[in-house]
Formats: sequence, C-alpha cells, structure tokens
Amino acid sequence: MPFSVPGLADDLTPDLLDRWNKEIDRQFRRLEPDLGSQYFTLEPDDPAADRVAVTWFGNPAEPEFCLDAATARTLSDWGVRGRRALHNEYCEYAVISATDTEGRVRPKRVQVTTELPEYYLMLAEHAPARLREILTETLGTEPRWQELYGPAVADPQLLAPTQRRVAFARHLTGHGQHPDLIDADVPAEPAGSLNAVNALFMAHPINGLDDLIYIVMFGAKPYARRNSAGGFEPAGRDQIFRQQPGLEALSCRHADPAAALAAADAAFHGRTVSFADPLGMYIQQFTSEVFLFEGGPVPDPWIRLGRGQQGLAQRLEFGPSDDDPHFLDEITVVEGDTEEPLTGGYEVVRQVQVGPIVALGAPAQVPPGDFVVLADSTGPIRCRDARVCTDTVGPLKEAFDAEALRPGLLGSRPRGVR
Amino acid sequence: MSVLQDGIYHGPGRRAPGHLALVFLRADPEADAAAVDGALREVTTMLRGLADGIVAELPGHPVPSAGLEFLLGFGPKAFDIVGAKLPCPAALGPRLRFRSPRPTGGGPLLVGGGLSYAADVTRNDATEEFCLQLTADTQLAASRAVVELWKLLRGARTGDSRTAPLEIAGIHTGFQRDDRRSWIGFHDGVSNLDSADRERVISIGAADAGPDPWTIGGTCLVFARLAVDLDQWHLLPRVQQELLVGRDKLTGAPLTGRDGEGLPVPAAGCPVAGTTEVTQPGNEDFLEPRPTADPVLLTSHVRRSNLTGTADPDQSGSLRVFRQGYEFFEPVAAAPGFRAGLNFVGFQDSPERVLRILTQRGWLGGVNFGGQPGPDGPAGRLLTVRAAGTYLVPPVRDGAPYPGAEVFG
Repeated sequence: MPFSVPGLADDLTPDLLDRWNKEIDRQFRRLEPDLGSQYFTLEPDDPAADRVAVTWFGNPAEPEFCLDAATARTLSDWGVRGRRALHNEYCEYAVISATDTEGRVRPKRVQVTTELPEYYLMLAEHAPARLREILTETLGTEPRWQELYGPAVADPQLLAPTQRRVAFARHLTGHGQHPDLIDADVPAEPAGSLNAVNALFMAHPINGLDDLIYIVMFGAKPYARRNSAGGFEPAGRDQIFRQQPGLEALSCRHADPAAALAAADAAFHGRTVSFADPLGMYIQQFTSEVFLFEGGPVPDPWIRLGRGQQGLAQRLEFGPSDDDPHFLDEITVVEGDTEEPLTGGYEVVRQVQVGPIVALGAPAQVPPGDFVVLADSTGPIRCRDARVCTDTVGPLKEAFDAEALRPGLLGSRPRGVR
Repeated sequence: MSVLQDGIYHGPGRRAPGHLALVFLRADPEADAAAVDGALREVTTMLRGLADGIVAELPGHPVPSAGLEFLLGFGPKAFDIVGAKLPCPAALGPRLRFRSPRPTGGGPLLVGGGLSYAADVTRNDATEEFCLQLTADTQLAASRAVVELWKLLRGARTGDSRTAPLEIAGIHTGFQRDDRRSWIGFHDGVSNLDSADRERVISIGAADAGPDPWTIGGTCLVFARLAVDLDQWHLLPRVQQELLVGRDKLTGAPLTGRDGEGLPVPAAGCPVAGTTEVTQPGNEDFLEPRPTADPVLLTSHVRRSNLTGTADPDQSGSLRVFRQGYEFFEPVAAAPGFRAGLNFVGFQDSPERVLRILTQRGWLGGVNFGGQPGPDGPAGRLLTVRAAGTYLVPPVRDGAPYPGAEVFG
C-alpha cells in the first residue's frame, strides 16, 4: 500500500510520492531481519482495520526522571542546546523572540514540530524547488539556498542528488543515524541555523522515521508470560524492555513504551499492526484551555495547527504573530491555584499529546507457538539509573550551571529573533 | 527507615476496609508549632490506643477495634503554623492545589477541567491544616474514632477563647460497596492500577522529593467529594449511560464498538463462561478496555481516565494514580432527601497526576464525567464538588512520635 504524504500536507508529484514510499520501505527492510513479525506489516490488507491513535506527552521525560520537573523545564527551554540534547519524544520546539517597544527581547511564540526529517531529506535530494516552496510557506519568507544546503551551495541543481542529500543533512538535519550519512561524515548536529532558530522539522537523532518504525515493529509481537494455570497472559512492560541490554531505558521515555506496548497489546490479541495512512507523527491533542490571556481564553488566531489536514497536524505555532503587539509572556499558564507567565516551550509541549496513527486488524486466535514467552522481570526498571542521566542530562545541567555563572550570558541572548 | 503510613491498601489482594471517616482538623490561629506538636502527639497516641481497642475513659475494658487504621495528612496551611521548622513541600505548592469555590458558591475546581463546586458550596473544608483518614471494618469503629477525637480535642480547650490547638473543621464519611458498583449502577474501580505497580506510583522517591528529602517514603493524598446528580443520570437511557461509561451496565464488560444501529457492543467472551460479571475471577483480561477506533467510545469515562496505560507508571507523565474511593450517602433537607456520591481518594507521588488527568484534553479535561466536552452534554453536570484538597502524607519513621513530626517537634 503506498503511503500518502505525511499529514496529507503537500501535493507531490507521483515520482516524489514514490520516492517517499521507497524511503519508508528502505527503513523497514533494514529493520526487518531483526524485528520482522507476522503481526507487523507495512501493507495491511484488512480494509476493516481500526485506525487507532497512539499518544504520549510531548515534553522530554528524561530530564524529569533524572532530575526534577523544574530542572527539566529549564534545560529543555535552553534554546537549541536543550532541544538537541533533550527533545526526543518525537516533538521538538523553538521559541521565537522579538523586541518590544521598550527594546526588550521577549518571547513571541512557540513553534512545535513533529515532522519527520526523512521527508525533508527526500525533498532536498530530489526536489529542491518544492522543498523551498514548502519552507517558504512555513516561514513566511523564502529561505536562501545557502540556508538550506550550506554556505557553499548557491544552486543545489548543480549538485548530484546524493550530494544534495549530504549537504542538506550536514546543514539542517544531522545524520539521524542513517548509515549513508554517517559514512559521508555528516555530523549528528546540523551546522545551519534555520532549523535551530525555527522548529521546521525534527532533527534529534532519535526522532526519525527509522526509530518510529523500529519501536512499533519491536512491539508488534505477542509477548507473553506463563500464568499460574499454565496459560499465556500479556507480558509486562518491564519484561518486554528487558529482552536486550540497553532497551530498559527506552521504557522510561514517553514515546517508546506507548508505541511498543500498544503494538504488543494488539499482537497479543492476534491483531496485525501497521501504520495507518498517512504514516507520520501527529499532534493529537493540545490542551490550550490551561492558557489564559487577559483572564480569558487565548485568541484563536494564536493557536495555529498546520502541516496537515484535519486531525493530522504536524506543526503548532502558539502565540501572537509578528504583526501582533502582544508577546508570549502575556499568556499565563494556569495550573491548580497558580497563574504564571508563559516564557518557554516546555510548558506548551507538556500540554501537547503526539503520536502516530496505527491500523489494527481484527482480533484472531494466536497459535500457542507464536507467543514470545519472556522471562519474569527482576523487579521494576529504575529510570533514574538510566545511562542518559549520567551521559546526557547530567553534563547538560553542568554546562547550563556553568554558563549561568557567567554574568550576562543566560537570559540576555536573543533566541530566534526575526 | 521510611515507609508508607497505614490506611493505603495497595498490596496484592488487599481491599480497603468497609468504612471511612475523613476528618479535617483546623489549627487554632494562636497555636504555635509546639502546641500543635503536642496536640498531634496526643491525637495519634489516642488513635493508636483505639486501634488496640483502648478507650481512654474505659480503662481495662477494651472494645473491638474492627481493624481501625488511621493516616495523617498535612495540608499546605500546616506549614504556615508559627514555628514550623520546615517549609511547605513542593508537592503541595500552589500549582498542585485546587482552586477555591466562589464566595457566592460554585466555580471551577480547575481551569481547563470540567468539574465545578456545587452552587451551594461557598467553603471548602478540605483545605484545613490536617486531615485524618480513619478506616475500619465497621461504621461504629470509624465513628467512634471521630467521637473519641472530639472528646480529646474538647478536653484540650483552654483560655478565654476556649479553643484547642486543633479543632474538627469537617467530616466526610463513606463506605465500600460489596457489589463493586457505584451509585450510577456501573462497576467502579475495575481498571485500577496493577498491584505490582502501585507502590512505584504511590511512594515519593528520591527523584520526586526534590528539595524536600524528608518526604521520601511518604505519599500525597488527593481528595474530592463528588456528588452525583442521580436525577439527571436516570433520565438517560441505558444505551447512553453505557456509552458514557464505556462498559456494559450489567456485566461490566468493556465496550469494543457499536453495531450498525449504534448500540454498544461489549467485549466478546466477557464475562467468561461460568461468571456473570467482569469482576469475577477468569475475566482479568477484560479489566482494561482494548484499543478502539470508535470516536464515541474514545470519549467514554473509562477511556478518558486512563489514556496512557502503556507508559511507565513510575513516571508522572503516565498520569497513573492509585484510587481508593469510598461511596457516600447522606440525608439532606432538600428533595429527594438525600445526597449520594463518591469520596474520591487517590494516592500518588504527586498531586500533579490527578490534576492533569482532570485538565488534559482527551483525558477528563473539559468534561464533567465523559462524553463530549461542555456542560450541555448528557453528563455535562453529573458531578459536583462538595470539597477537595491535596495533602502530604509523611512517611512513618522509626522512633518518631507521629508521621511528619519533624515539621513541629
């Protein structure tokens, strides 16, 4: 089954659509030898399959379980450094700032994106002009080629497709763990600023198409444990994520257990699992009701869902537009008995639920030989012991604290001024 | 060693005893930390004695204790008492408290939520300095504890104002139903947290305690007394009731969809042969509803209450809580002469889990019970709030006179 464009957001030529499907298929084939399962398919043939949204919260889970909620907010809001280290729940954001009439740099609005980088890589490789059209529509201004492909590229049409892919990745997506890009010495962190000042599409290495397919495929097996009567019952979360070393930490994030266990639950009941068309990551819910402006609801024009048709939005812009005299910090976040100014993106994505839409076939009897029987877990997984706490979150906190000690640096630097 | 207080029945196979009295204690404005410390020592000593059948005025003549257990909670105001040695913990910060009712009555419990105070509620007594949860197997044992508490506090009244350091400010009673149903006729508490996961959700760990390490091993109690508009509910046909709840009314089987006529379809095979209700052994696989694409079922109460059942319950983002609710029934002067509802009692490492469930879109945000958001739906004003509060339940420590004694002693 060929998939449509993510979110049905763009009109693409049949050739480009075919290339997008080839990219999906390529990622699937790469994962299939290890994770293939008769309960997962890219081509569901069941027309009666249920389209089920799998959702989780968009705020980074890791800094919160490693440290605490307040620090998670601070680090996640630390501009592009926070984004590249922590925004790994398939939801990234950037805060756009502007100068007010008194000359103060203030947050203007938050851009949230769930768009898959591979889609943009495909466009960058095969359709630079279409890519630029799409980004122009998102940004409101036309980006220069150098902003997309790097300072040395004045005309991408002069490059071979593979050269365009590498140049774009080097400048705006990073290698995203794709072997060909790693082989081409593309760094993990992109060098260009366009997708750092703005949130155009996701760029954290884990927020890609391959990881999304991976975690659903990983889950789509009838994982089971033996019950006291000798029958099968669904395996627990800790059992499933203790199959292999290194997987435990995945269970501590919002995204992976939600996606994998939804698939596992379906497979246990004999349902085939696939991605519903169109395959993508979507903003499923946004609880805008907890934000107030001048004591009432936030004006509708300040909540702009985009890059997807009804129910398939991949982008949220929250806050006043450039021509509006108001600023983001005039919005208050109302939680419990408090109302606080909104100054960053973390408080916004806490109210955002993201996830893919999966297609589940009809329940069927699972032959006993199909069950993947797992050993009992040796107690609950302790998220605080995850390596990410010492390898990523801890050093980021230290870097933040060190920079905070340098007077005049934190808080005074304009972020995303347009 | 720090452990959870008694009165949280979270272990495998444990069920909460039949009767509840939740007592809210107000500290006298003139009482300082030392006076409150003394009063809490006396109160907890008295209750421990009562749990052993000892009544102060009946020395040598024990009474049946009926499994009486008590739990002491500290509200935010407790830390404002003059001389308190510890600041209000982050777990009780303003963003983790309910809003107050309007002076004229009513008003939203939370911005973004669908629950409001009843129109006649102008004062929320669940915001006092302390709460005592008294649970017992008999109504007498729970009630006796309240009366003995009153006698103790009455005896402590001194001075010109004739006040004691602590006074009873409000009492809410409740009971467990042996049919495992609620007043709206449906099974309740069926899809509660797995017993293996409960302590991870309930207990405040080092990662949750933040700047308040003394709270590690404790928990947070969230209380809301929710009255049910039975008159409104019973105007709804059974089909509409089932779609709002998400279960078959008779068997408790989770609904999996609707047939061609829009009628609810219960999970096939539930209840299993030889049983009549989902709560009976053999139906464990049907306790949690399976995924569905049906847009009406997605708005039902059972699905809105637990959207990320697959998340790690340890994480606050899973929004899992351990519920230990008690129904209530009380006579009132107005027709029909009684008020019925639920004492929602939830235990979790932070009140945030409950507050977010109540405000998050797709969860219970914007809805009163289930269905579509807004007050005009069939369940738009089914529930009203009589009282609600958040309390820290400090851990039990070896040698401490009472849980949380480090705040005053």
